[in-house]
Amino acid sequence: MPASAPSRRTAILGGVAAGAALVPSAALLAGVDPAQAATTYKVRRFAKVKTPNAATRHAVNRFTYGWTPQLQKQIKKAGGFTTWFDAQLAPDSGRKVDDDFFESSSNWWFTINASPTKIWDRSEREIEPWWKADENYQRWALVRRIHSERQVQEVVAEFFEHHLHVPTSGENSAIFRADYGKLIRSHALGKFTDLLHAAITHPAMGVHLDNAVSTKRGVNENLGRELLELFTVGAGNFTEQDVKNSAAILTGYSVDVWGTWRVSYEPDDHVTGPVKVLGFSDPNRAKDGRDVTRRYLHYLARHPRTAETIARKLAIRFVSDHPSQALVARLAKVYLAHDTAIAPVVKALSTHAEFKRAKGMKVRTGPDDIVATCRALDVKVRKPAGDLAGANQLLWQAGSLGELPLSWPRPDGMPDTAVAWSSTSRFLNSLEMHIALAGGWWPKKAMRYRSARSWVPIGKAGKRKRKTSIRFDQLVDHLSRSLLGRGSTPRLLQAACEAVECRPAERITHTHHLVKWNMPHLLGVFLDSPDHMTR
Amino acid sequence: MTSPADHTRASLTTPASCCPEYAGLSRRGFLRAGALGAVTLTSTAVFGSAHLQVAHAATQKAGSVLVVLSLRGAVDGMSLVVPHGDPAYYKARPGIAVASDVLLAKDGFFGLHPNLAPLLPMWRAGRMAAVHATGLPTPNRSHFSAMEEVEDADPGSSARVGWLNRLIGRDAYAHPLRATQIGQTIPPTSLLGPRDVMAFGEVDQVTLAGGEGELRARRRRSLQTVWGGVGGPLGDGARAAMLAVDDFDPVRRTAEQPAHGARYPRGDLGKALAAAARTIRGDVGAEVITVDHGDWDHHADLGTLEWGRMQEMTTELGEALAAFFTDLGSLGDKVTVVALSEFGRRTKENANYGLDHGHGNVMFLLGAGVKGGYFGTWTPLTNTVDGDLLVTTDYRSVLAEVVSTRFDVSTATVFPGFTPERVGAILR
Repeated sequence: MPASAPSRRTAILGGVAAGAALVPSAALLAGVDPAQAATTYKVRRFAKVKTPNAATRHAVNRFTYGWTPQLQKQIKKAGGFTTWFDAQLAPDSGRKVDDDFFESSSNWWFTINASPTKIWDRSEREIEPWWKADENYQRWALVRRIHSERQVQEVVAEFFEHHLHVPTSGENSAIFRADYGKLIRSHALGKFTDLLHAAITHPAMGVHLDNAVSTKRGVNENLGRELLELFTVGAGNFTEQDVKNSAAILTGYSVDVWGTWRVSYEPDDHVTGPVKVLGFSDPNRAKDGRDVTRRYLHYLARHPRTAETIARKLAIRFVSDHPSQALVARLAKVYLAHDTAIAPVVKALSTHAEFKRAKGMKVRTGPDDIVATCRALDVKVRKPAGDLAGANQLLWQAGSLGELPLSWPRPDGMPDTAVAWSSTSRFLNSLEMHIALAGGWWPKKAMRYRSARSWVPIGKAGKRKRKTSIRFDQLVDHLSRSLLGRGSTPRLLQAACEAVECRPAERITHTHHLVKWNMPHLLGVFLDSPDHMTR
Repeated sequence: MTSPADHTRASLTTPASCCPEYAGLSRRGFLRAGALGAVTLTSTAVFGSAHLQVAHAATQKAGSVLVVLSLRGAVDGMSLVVPHGDPAYYKARPGIAVASDVLLAKDGFFGLHPNLAPLLPMWRAGRMAAVHATGLPTPNRSHFSAMEEVEDADPGSSARVGWLNRLIGRDAYAHPLRATQIGQTIPPTSLLGPRDVMAFGEVDQVTLAGGEGELRARRRRSLQTVWGGVGGPLGDGARAAMLAVDDFDPVRRTAEQPAHGARYPRGDLGKALAAAARTIRGDVGAEVITVDHGDWDHHADLGTLEWGRMQEMTTELGEALAAFFTDLGSLGDKVTVVALSEFGRRTKENANYGLDHGHGNVMFLLGAGVKGGYFGTWTPLTNTVDGDLLVTTDYRSVLAEVVSTRFDVSTATVFPGFTPERVGAILR
């Protein structure tokens, strides 16, 4: 029975990067009995897995869904983080980045590439209800985040899917939702002028915020208002008269929500006559309002207040919950100087001093956590066949964390702050998800999990050359590097010793009880730690 | 301004199951002996300029329970509680108005949506009140900033502290189970603040996964090592979770089946209220429970009594609240439900059988301490494109009446700088 009682009240502060200062009084918390403080927890390196320096690890964890040893190799092959990042920011030009996973996985669910009428038809024939298209899109979003080669594009695309939010909750927009998501992704690293126009005039948005039924006989203000408040200039920067004119400009984009799902522009529905919103005015004489809509949306996209909205939101996603006004102003300036191009803003953000200081300051959202956990554990999600397949079941795993991907029930998009993602149940549910995936317990089908043995870097008994056992403290260091991309700490070592009742110097073989029974609990120590739950 | 009638009166005066079951707090005045030895669980948080350190005590009984049901998306209060006595209501809503002859609990001016029928027994027993024409003092038509404003309820301050966090912060007893969001794991603005709170989706989720007995104790110890000293919201959340997970046990041990034959409607609201009833039955000191329900943002397809989202969601609302009080049985004598929304909707319908963003709205009060009937002061509606129901009662006056009567707290603590006006919907 190893003497692994908690010890070392002289807490080694460096080990915990949790986005805030350590609480001094919390030394009480460990429940330490000084008399038992016998074991010392000293890190022993085992550097078989290459890890990035702190700055690169930070940047990778912000601009991808989680560092992995494979990513480390890619970055090295590209010649370092900067060149790798630049290529990721322009994945279709120059050093083209593969998009194989995106392409192939889009065929995993029929509804992803099917036309609205096909989805409707299948629903009518009772093969798959049309609203399942939203669930399928959520599933696709999850597996893309886990496996896409274009990590940066996926991360920025998700950001804009939240910004121009059309909830995936089985509303009428479901039938158009996959196409909407693809469209956003295709513009995510382009210009916001194009992205905004594409999103606002898309039938998914039209159906969701009622513009699809807004006509000159009865103008519906829903989209006209949220366009100003959420998507561009922000609350407090427009009047009720602006809302009315905004909604008037947008009339004409019609969708037949009564079964044909026909998408059309109806000049007869468009409100004509002079309009004025903020500094935009137009005689709006033409029956076809598509041109005035384009000019209006481009005007809004280029508005300095919009620049601030986008800059602040990007800074909250990628830097910290409370970015400084100086950072926001700087990013807004870059945005305007590049005529609303998004990639230069992301690039500017990544090199800003405030970004560099923000290591570990973001709490991973629920969906981020499950994706990062799959990546850390090197789980492979395979093409699904049947409801029980991992690619389908993973969604329910995500749901238990509080939020199905892209399903936030309000038009303002899922929050991305520590306060929103630190509730009691979020924490407990994350712990449950971590251990379920670490043990490969659920989901099981069409998923490839690593074996417990594969995490222990030793040879098989009887084989020469490789050692057949490893010290526990070295194994902990190895796992910390593999899962977290950084060496172990005394605190992690202590937690590992406590979780699986091993001594630091204990020799672990492939037949040790740890490998046979307790590996999920050991892997859980790293996944449950602030290093994994923050980024 | 006050025609046709000043509704500051109760039309039905049957006393509610009144009586001061609020008997003060029976504080077991000892600090926690945690699973890891006799230590006091503490957490530190900075909100605005306040730097607080909180010692968590053992759970105390809740003498009164306040359930705040937020009807998200801005419900149309004039469909729920119909001003049938105002002719402009029918002129402005030729397609979606609720006909006078089908209204329930009608008086000379108001009547309830027929799909609220499951609540009629409570109404008749004088345990349900509707306060009309309430809201923020000035219109705010943004869902998101209106929600913040309503739930922060402290317009002078930039600190992000919600009114319910101030309510549970009124004395020294601090425990995350004292205030809980149920149904959604992201806590609303009203709960945020220096006191730790809880949020869970389902009762069974409040558990530490990964084995029982020795295995669980080890994981516990290991987590404590890692999280014990971590600051920030996630550190607070982690420690509150580890504390709550033990003290929540009585709730997990309650029967999953609702009591007294209560039948909740399908859907998230029924599920959340069923979990709320179990939480109250578990008697773990849950004094404040928040539940979100929506989307009530009916710009289109609000509809009629035959079709549309209003009739469907109103049915669910009525059935769920009725089932909740049935489920609670005599425990309901200490539970007060307040239902409110961030703002109301326009008087005039739009071309899509819907309503755009307006201002004044109705608030419902049900259960303990409530003086039944219709309340509020009505200003005649105007049938114009922009016509709003004017707010004559600050929503805080209604809330202040509830908290100051049901809890041992001064109004000024919960609603700083606000002088409430008497509404009369709570028994004193």
